[in-house]
Amino acid sequence: MANDLKFLVVDDFSTMRRIVRNLLKEIGYAEADEAEDGVVALHKLRNSTFHFVVSDINMPNMNGFQLLNEIKKDEKLKHLPVLMVTAEARKEDIVMAAQQGAAGYIVKPFTKATLEDKVNLILTKLGLK
Amino acid sequence: MSTGAPSNPAVATPDLSQDVHQRIGMLTRQLHDSLQGLGLTEQVKSWAGEIPDAKSRLSYIARLTGEAAEKVLNNVDQAKAHHDHIAAETRRIGALIVKDPVAAVAKGHVMNFIHDVEDATKHIDKNLTNIMMAQDFHDLTGQVISKVVNLTASIESQLLQLLIITAPSEPVNKPADSAKPATFVVHDHPVLQGPVVNPEGNPDVVKGQSEVDDLLASLGF
Repeated sequence: MANDLKFLVVDDFSTMRRIVRNLLKEIGYAEADEAEDGVVALHKLRNSTFHFVVSDINMPNMNGFQLLNEIKKDEKLKHLPVLMVTAEARKEDIVMAAQQGAAGYIVKPFTKATLEDKVNLILTKLGLK
Repeated sequence: MSTGAPSNPAVATPDLSQDVHQRIGMLTRQLHDSLQGLGLTEQVKSWAGEIPDAKSRLSYIARLTGEAAEKVLNNVDQAKAHHDHIAAETRRIGALIVKDPVAAVAKGHVMNFIHDVEDATKHIDKNLTNIMMAQDFHDLTGQVISKVVNLTASIESQLLQLLIITAPSEPVNKPADSAKPATFVVHDHPVLQGPVVNPEGNPDVVKGQSEVDDLLASLGF
């Protein structure tokens, strides 16, 4: 079941989107799509089925906090786990993400092991793994 | 011998230096008065504070790109060594099989080769992942470059405004209180700060993933 999950990777840097997608593939999650900001992500989330969102925070148009907020406000999307993967290292940002309902928080630069740990932990908590 | 050249440059230089010195002095005074008149002294202080930050951000970019290049080259070296080993072993095993296929299998040469290939591909896969991960500098340095560019653009824009206002063709006797147009907006720092270039000694930021995990755990997450 877990390997069939579809991920949405949201980051304004295409390099980082590719890195996260490749890492997800390496850890067993080959199904993934990309979005370059919160607006595109929200559109994709509302028009297709996803099981997991990995999102950056600092993005143009709609940042990761705004995207998280929109997801959690949306009845059809609020169940989606959102893992923040960001360079924002301020404690207040981490606390804010947790309070807004983020399922996890990873600071860049990160390792494959960190991503694998967090994704698997979240999926286990949700009973999806 | 050219007769058009200054006959005695050593004598002319002090006059020239004095003139340049006086001009710089006048320009400095004019700039100082203009900045004060326009209420820009605080802005200049702010730039003075931000420029060292910009310097440390540029150093951060140099460090990150250097580390990424080093990481890529090291992993390429390792991957090539594994690749060369497999290439050489393939030739050797090939020759053994051609010479005596039964002996090559019976003596374990073929199985050893298969284990070698399996081992090397694992290492090469790890090297490739490391090379991929090294590209994360693009995201991190991109955010930092964007901040430095914004600072430079802000200084350029404000200096340009200053130039326009203080240009001789403009009315010189512009009232000081109306000489602060809406373009002189002090841009607040964006809400999001991007990568932390100097985490040491800053209690407001985490220094790594373990601190993130500790912080979230302390909040019950």
